[in-house]
Amino acid sequence: MRNVLLILQREYIVRVRSKMFIFLTIFMPVFMAAIIVLPAKMAMKSSGERHVVVVSSSAPLADAVAKELTAQDLDSDGDEAANGSHSHQPKAVDFAVTVEAAPTEALRARLTDQLRAGSLDGFLWLGDDVVTTRKAEYYSRNRGDFIEGALVSQALRAALTRQGMTTHGMNADEIKALLGPVKLDAVHIDKQGEDKSGGVGAYLLPFFLMFAIYMTVFLYGISVMRSVIEEKSSRVVEVLLGAVTPLQLMAGKILGVGAVGLTQVGIWLGCGMLVGGGGLAAAGPVLGEMKNAHVPTLGLALMPVFFLLGYLTYACLYAAIGAMCNSDEEAQQLQFPVTLPLLLCMVVAMRLIREPDSPLTFWLSMFPLTSPLVMFVRVCLTPPPAWEIALSLGLSVVFLWGCIWLTARIYRVGILMYGKRPTLPEILKWIRYA
Amino acid sequence: MPFTLELNQVSKTFDEFVAVDHLSFAIREGEIFGLLGPNGAGKTTSIRMMIGITIPDSGEIRAFGEPLGRRLLDRIGYLPEERGLYKKMKVLENLVFLARLKGIAPAEAARRAQSWLERLELAQWTNAKVEELSKGMQQKVQFIAAVMHDPDFMILDEPFSGLDPASSLVLKDALLDLKKQGKTILFSTHRMDTVERLCDSICLVNHGRSVLAGGLREVKARYGRSNVQLEYEGTLPLLEDRARVTSFNDYGNYVELRPAEGMDAQQLLKAAMETSRIRRFEMVEPSLEEIFIATVEGGKPEGNAVEASHA
Repeated sequence: MRNVLLILQREYIVRVRSKMFIFLTIFMPVFMAAIIVLPAKMAMKSSGERHVVVVSSSAPLADAVAKELTAQDLDSDGDEAANGSHSHQPKAVDFAVTVEAAPTEALRARLTDQLRAGSLDGFLWLGDDVVTTRKAEYYSRNRGDFIEGALVSQALRAALTRQGMTTHGMNADEIKALLGPVKLDAVHIDKQGEDKSGGVGAYLLPFFLMFAIYMTVFLYGISVMRSVIEEKSSRVVEVLLGAVTPLQLMAGKILGVGAVGLTQVGIWLGCGMLVGGGGLAAAGPVLGEMKNAHVPTLGLALMPVFFLLGYLTYACLYAAIGAMCNSDEEAQQLQFPVTLPLLLCMVVAMRLIREPDSPLTFWLSMFPLTSPLVMFVRVCLTPPPAWEIALSLGLSVVFLWGCIWLTARIYRVGILMYGKRPTLPEILKWIRYA
Repeated sequence: MPFTLELNQVSKTFDEFVAVDHLSFAIREGEIFGLLGPNGAGKTTSIRMMIGITIPDSGEIRAFGEPLGRRLLDRIGYLPEERGLYKKMKVLENLVFLARLKGIAPAEAARRAQSWLERLELAQWTNAKVEELSKGMQQKVQFIAAVMHDPDFMILDEPFSGLDPASSLVLKDALLDLKKQGKTILFSTHRMDTVERLCDSICLVNHGRSVLAGGLREVKARYGRSNVQLEYEGTLPLLEDRARVTSFNDYGNYVELRPAEGMDAQQLLKAAMETSRIRRFEMVEPSLEEIFIATVEGGKPEGNAVEASHA
């Protein structure tokens, strides 16, 4: 036991001190945030203010369109006041709108010139028959900016609808009520009852947690493998084995690296809690959805269990691979088959999350090499019957036990074998050695 | 005198390959013992069995009079042939870690490491990473790791490799000091001159078997003062004359040769003087190197030795 602790301690200290650890601890959350926030931000926000001219012989219509464009969230104003928490819809594009009431060909030519010169970003040409044909022309320089086009079209439609309703005798309040946005609450039914949770967020959070388990299992599994190879190629192992048994060495190493993994995840979670909901809301509307996300307590409680099972299983397998190889390059080829089930989980992750009840999901949540990730996601989304969770955990534990047994045997022989990489029959022979 | 280590009919086979074949020898307490043999003779496998890394298929290993067990390993120190240190860790950390595995308390380990580092002139490297050290310095650190827990028996695989003459001297003094304290030391090496100067007993292994064993004096005495050492300038065609010279080891201006049976050394000298200028001529015991080469290449070593002692 003394020996296992000493080895654990050394692995832990050396790793936590390393630049790689510090780098990853800081970089990973930044990287994840960047992946989520940047595309959302980029899609939502085109740069700068757009100067747009609305041309119509009907001044009220032109004014209405201009109003819609500059204040797209007009309709939700009251709504927001009422329900406070609803996030403020930011305008994707800021419009500065000028209204021209005389649609002449000279004006069209002048505006086209301005558009070419760049002093104007676009103009909307409303013919006299726009109310009946519901057709208009929008001139712009930017062929690809579909968001701008969509916004203009939306504004025009709203203005036309408003005008039509007014002519049918409705008052402003009635119109506002009719045109108000619809809020959809995804209500999730399970055996315990109903549970309101936000649409996107409900999927995102389990996905992120699964991704976090995946990354840590993978990174630290590989770390164990590297460490085995390092000791083997530097021949430290010969000195160590004069004092400890191979099993102690392996146990100390896997637990030590695992402790580093837990530390890192702990730091991330801790920082996440400190930054908290405020940070999430500030990060943008997509992340804001995460506030509505809800991972069942059962999922959170089982997360460390799934992480440990996954990590220990993979760490054993990676340690066995390390023991068979003499260099990192050699190990890279061998590690792929072991990494494959992990990768598979991530490849089908979105499908699993959309169809938590499909047979694929069921079998992956039973197969010990994928179950720590997949069963975790299932527990978070639609908690499966208790017996399924128990069976999955049981299978994992049995499989882990087998992995430890197998790896211990390969490891014991492998760490002292240099030179040629062993063939499969040779490895089988190692396993049979008493 | 009690034995520190005994190997009794020890065998180890990997698949078809017999690495060690019924090997027996015993190391007396307090002696320096040389384990010799060509590459692939089974030296490393034997050593690994002595420190419990691998288990013999058959036969028995006893250390300090008891069957070798994990409990006894703390009394054994091991210097592997290739460096076995964590390259990214500092020298002191490496030493303290390895000593703690052998049961030394952290503070005591640090104290001993410091004093050994000073003794081997490495004090200014205490906090350097191992990878920053030269090969010879790493070898010295490795040596400290092997002796720091004050073992009664040390197994040193090529301890002098990569050391410059000055460092070799420091290390040799340290070894002799340990011997004076009553420690037992096993050397595994190819360097016969070191063995001749330091070892009390030797065992020469080839193909996993002991082909020559005993006290160094005794082994050499078996061969008698039968060899001739010559320092010369010129050429010595007589070396190729099998009627007069059985074998020789020529360095260009120095040669050690074994005269053919019944050949008078004086006649050899006369013949040599005809073709070259002789600066030194001496009848000597064969050097260990000579015995090593003759035994390993000769195939039937013990027989030769007996013949030689009759001559």
